[in-house]
Amino acid sequence: MTELSDETRTPAAVPAHPPPRSASPPAPARRRRWRLPQVGERKVAYLFLAPWFIGLALITIGPILGSLYLSFTDYSLLAPPEWTGLDNYERMVTDPRFYQSLQVTFVYVFVSVPLQLAFALALALALDKGLRGLAFYRSVYYLPSLLGASVAIAVLWRQMFGAEGLINAALENLGFTDLPGWVSDPDYALGTIIILNVWTFGSPMVIFLAGLRQIPQMYYEAAAIDGAGALRRFFSITLPLLSPIIFFNLVLQLIGSFQSFTQAFVISSGRGSPADSTLFYTLYLYLRGFGNFDMGYASALAWVLLLIVGVLTAANFLVSRFWVFYGDD
Amino acid sequence: MAAPPPAPGPTASRLRRTLVAGALSLVMITATACGGGGGEPAAGAEAGPVTLRFYWWGSDSRHQYTQELIDKYQAANPGVTIEAEFSGFDDYWDRLATATAGGDAPDVMQQDTRYVAEYAERGALADLTEYMPGVIDTAQLDQPMLKTGRLDGKTYAIPTGVNAFALLANPKLFADTGVALPDDATWTWDQMVQLSEQISAAGGGQVFGVQDLGFNETSLEIFARQRGEELFNADGDVGFTRQTLVDWWTTMVALRDTGGTSPPPISVESQAGGVDGSLTAQNRAALGSWWTNQLPALSTATGQDMELLRWPGESPRAGMYLKPAMFWSISERSEHPEAAAKFIDYLINSPEAAELALSDRGLPINTALREQIVPKLKAADQRSAAFVEEITPSLADPPPLPPQGAGEVQRILQQLHEQVLFDQLSVDQAADQFMGELDAATG
Repeated sequence: MTELSDETRTPAAVPAHPPPRSASPPAPARRRRWRLPQVGERKVAYLFLAPWFIGLALITIGPILGSLYLSFTDYSLLAPPEWTGLDNYERMVTDPRFYQSLQVTFVYVFVSVPLQLAFALALALALDKGLRGLAFYRSVYYLPSLLGASVAIAVLWRQMFGAEGLINAALENLGFTDLPGWVSDPDYALGTIIILNVWTFGSPMVIFLAGLRQIPQMYYEAAAIDGAGALRRFFSITLPLLSPIIFFNLVLQLIGSFQSFTQAFVISSGRGSPADSTLFYTLYLYLRGFGNFDMGYASALAWVLLLIVGVLTAANFLVSRFWVFYGDD
Repeated sequence: MAAPPPAPGPTASRLRRTLVAGALSLVMITATACGGGGGEPAAGAEAGPVTLRFYWWGSDSRHQYTQELIDKYQAANPGVTIEAEFSGFDDYWDRLATATAGGDAPDVMQQDTRYVAEYAERGALADLTEYMPGVIDTAQLDQPMLKTGRLDGKTYAIPTGVNAFALLANPKLFADTGVALPDDATWTWDQMVQLSEQISAAGGGQVFGVQDLGFNETSLEIFARQRGEELFNADGDVGFTRQTLVDWWTTMVALRDTGGTSPPPISVESQAGGVDGSLTAQNRAALGSWWTNQLPALSTATGQDMELLRWPGESPRAGMYLKPAMFWSISERSEHPEAAAKFIDYLINSPEAAELALSDRGLPINTALREQIVPKLKAADQRSAAFVEEITPSLADPPPLPPQGAGEVQRILQQLHEQVLFDQLSVDQAADQFMGELDAATG
C-alpha cells in the first residue's frame, strides 16, 4: 500500500529531491523491471485506455452530440432529419403534456427523494447500534434496491396495489371500505410509485452505514461525558459529520429520480395511465420519440431535462456550502 | 499484475509496436462485433444467392409455424436464404423504427393499419404496384380488402387476412345472471346499456355487463360509421362530427353510471392487463369488444364457448367492417425487392402457407384458400370464420388507410377517456380536447 503510493508520487517529487531518485539502492532493479522510458509509458497507458476512450467517444459522446443536433431538427426516424431551428423548443412552451410531465416528475422527485433519504438514514442509524447479525439485516434491507427497478417487481406491485389486489384485500379485512385502486386511480397512482421508490432505500442506506462507521467514537464519548443526550448527540455530532454523505446521496438520488422510467412504464401501461397521472418526463420523452416518430422533439426534451438536472445539481452544490461540513475547514 | 510483461530487454519502440498492434486488433474485434448484426456484403443484382431478412411480431405459436414456413420456402427455392427476426408487438415498433432509421430495415416486414401511412409517406416502404400481378398474383385476393393497403394510388402493403371488431359474449355469464342473449341484428345502444346494467346488478360486483368499450378507437369508429361518418376520410382528415363523439362518450359514461361496466379503477386495470388480464378472460364480463381472431384465445382462457355478436346499432346502417388483420410490406431499401415480392406471393397465395398459418394472421385474403382452410380450423376458429362469413354481406367497404399520426389516436383517446371516467373532464370538455389533439396529431 505505502510502496504503491510512494511510487505514484515519484514524478511530483522529482524536481524537489533529485538525489534520492538516483541514489536509492533497490530502485534500479525495480525500475528496470517496471519502468519504461517516461514518454513511452504515457503513450502505452493511452493505448491501454484506447478501447475505453473509443467507446466513450462512439457510444456516449457521439450520440449525445447527435441528439443535440437532432433537437434542432424534425426527425421522424424513418426519413432524414430536417433542420427546423428552435421549433422543437418553441413547441414545448405550448405543449400541455410537457407541463404535465414536468409536474409529475417534480412531485415525484421532491417527495420521494427526501422521504427515501430520511428512511435510509433512520434505518442506517438503527443498524449501526451494533445489532447482532448486522450483515444479514443489511443484505435484507438492501434487497429492494436491487429488485426495485426491475420490471418483475413493478408488475408485482401493479397486482398487489390493484383495486382488488392483495393490499386492498388485507385492508378490507381490517374493516376499511371504499378503497381506491392504488395504481389505477389518478389520485393515487403517483403516490404508489413514490412509495415503490422510497422502498428502494438500500443503496443510500449502505452508504450512510459506511459514513456512520467513519465518525470517531470518541466524539460521542466526550459528548456523553459532557452530558449530551441522544438527540443532542445526533444533531451536533452525527448530522454534521455525516453531512458530506447526505449531500452525496442527495445529489445521486436527485439525478437518478429525474431519470426513473421503469416503474412508471410498467405501472402506467407504458403511457402514463391513468389519465396522465404518472406521465414521467422520461416516459413522455420515450412516447414522443418512439410512439409518435418525433425524435427531434424527444431530443429537445432530453436536453431540457439535462438542463434542469444540471441547474438543480449546481444549485445543490452552491447551497451545500451552507450546510455540508467537511471537518477539515 | 497490470504491468506490461517483463519481456527480456525489449527495446521501447518494439514493445510499443506490439502494443499498438494489440490495441488495434482489440478495436477491430469490438468494431466487427458491433457491426455483426448489420450489413452482410451486398449480393450483386445478378442472379445468385439472395438473403432476405424477414421480421414479424406475434406469439410463440406464430413464431413456430412461421419458421416452418420459411424452411419449406428455402427448400423449394435454393439460393434464397431467409433470416427470421421476431418479437412481441410493443417491441416490434421500437425495433422496426430504429432499424429503419439505421438503414437496416428488414426486406419483408409485418405491418399494421395504424403505421402503414407513417412508413409509406416517409419513403420507407417499397411500392408494390409494379409486382402486381406479375410477381404477386392478385387474381384470387379479396379486392376491397386489397385496397386497404393503397395510398395515393400505390400499393404499399398487402393484407395478410381479414378480421372484424365485434362483441364477444360469455354465454355462461348470461345464463348465470338470468339475462337472455340479445338479438344482435337489431339491438340498439340503449338496449345494450340496459342489458349490461341487469347483468351487473345480478353479478354482485364480481361480474359486469360489459368490459369498458372506451379504450379502443375502433369502438368510436363503428359508432361513427353507423351514422354514415368515418374516423378518417379518404383525404386523411377527421371524418366525424363533434356531436357524434359527444354521443359516443355519453353512452360510455352511461355504462359507467348505471354500473353496466366495472368501476373505473377496475376498467383501467383490465385494460392494462392485456388479453389474459382482461375481465373477459377472467369470466367477469359478459360482453367485451375483441377482434374475431382473438376468439380462440379467449375461449381457452374462459373455458367457455364464447360467442361473437354484432355491435349494437348495426341496423339500419352497419358500422362494422372487415379489417386487414395485418399487412406484408417490403422495405424501400431492400436490395432484392423482387425476391421479397415473390416470398410475399408465397405467403398469401400458396396452400402450403395457408395451411400452416390457418387463421392466425386473420382469415386468408385469398378467398379460395379461405374456403379451403375453414374446415381445418379448430371449433373456435370455425365459429369466428362463420361469423365473419355471416356478417360480410351487410358490411360496407373497409375504411381507407388512416393518415400519419393515426398510431397516436388510441393513446389520445385512452388518456382522455380515463379523465372522463374519473370525472376530471366532462364529456364536452373531453370532446373539445380530442378534436383538437386529433387535428394536431394527424395534421
